[in-house]
Amino acid sequence: MTDATDLAARAGDRDPRVGLRAVSALRRLLEQLEAVQVRSARNQGWSWQEIAAELGVSRQAVHKKYGRQ
Amino acid sequence: MFERFTKAARAVVKGAAEHAERGGATAVTQEHLLLALLDGEGTRATEALRALCPPDRRPSLVATLTDARRRAGLSRADEEALADLGIDVGAIVARVEETHGEGALAGDRKDSGRWSGRRPFSREAKGILEKSLRVALARKDREIGDEHILLALTTTGGVVAEALADHGVTYASVEAAVAGVPAP
Repeated sequence: MTDATDLAARAGDRDPRVGLRAVSALRRLLEQLEAVQVRSARNQGWSWQEIAAELGVSRQAVHKKYGRQ
Repeated sequence: MFERFTKAARAVVKGAAEHAERGGATAVTQEHLLLALLDGEGTRATEALRALCPPDRRPSLVATLTDARRRAGLSRADEEALADLGIDVGAIVARVEETHGEGALAGDRKDSGRWSGRRPFSREAKGILEKSLRVALARKDREIGDEHILLALTTTGGVVAEALADHGVTYASVEAAVAGVPAP
């Protein structure tokens, strides 16, 4: 890689768009991961209280979000 | 807003809801709007789609959407941004599917049969319908047709727009194709 393209790539790294997009993508990934893990825990007989404690949220919050499943 | 939708546009909205229900999704998404557009016949949008992405390329388009859904609905641009942080989405998907089965991150409900009834439109899908209104206004079209929904879908920068662009369907190409289609 030449110095010029290297520099351009580094400048690109500081582009807020890339960083912000990563945050939004991470959030999306997190939502799906949470749904998978909560479903799995429920299938294994975990209570909403136990799941909420692990996630660090209130029982009501987790039940409201996933209770219908 | 809906009173300004043409019959074809209403059919897309209805068809999208049906796709969501059949697919066991919790909400109607952009992807369902596109699938409904692909079902149509003889409308401005479907004629444009036929010209730009002929039927033999449809399976590839649908496969691109399915694959993206399996990857938590992340677009290529999303994955590149995450790779920048050292996060390998492919590795995460593989690991989760190893434990929880194929398509675990796709977010489909496995128990769709238990929940009938209407699905709400996702925030992003609602955004498309609002955008289709703005597209129609910008083009000085009096009604919102299915071509405006298709045009709106090409502008979102997400998975659907990416899949469409990969198959030659962009805002500019749809606009050109629509211009070449005689009014029904």
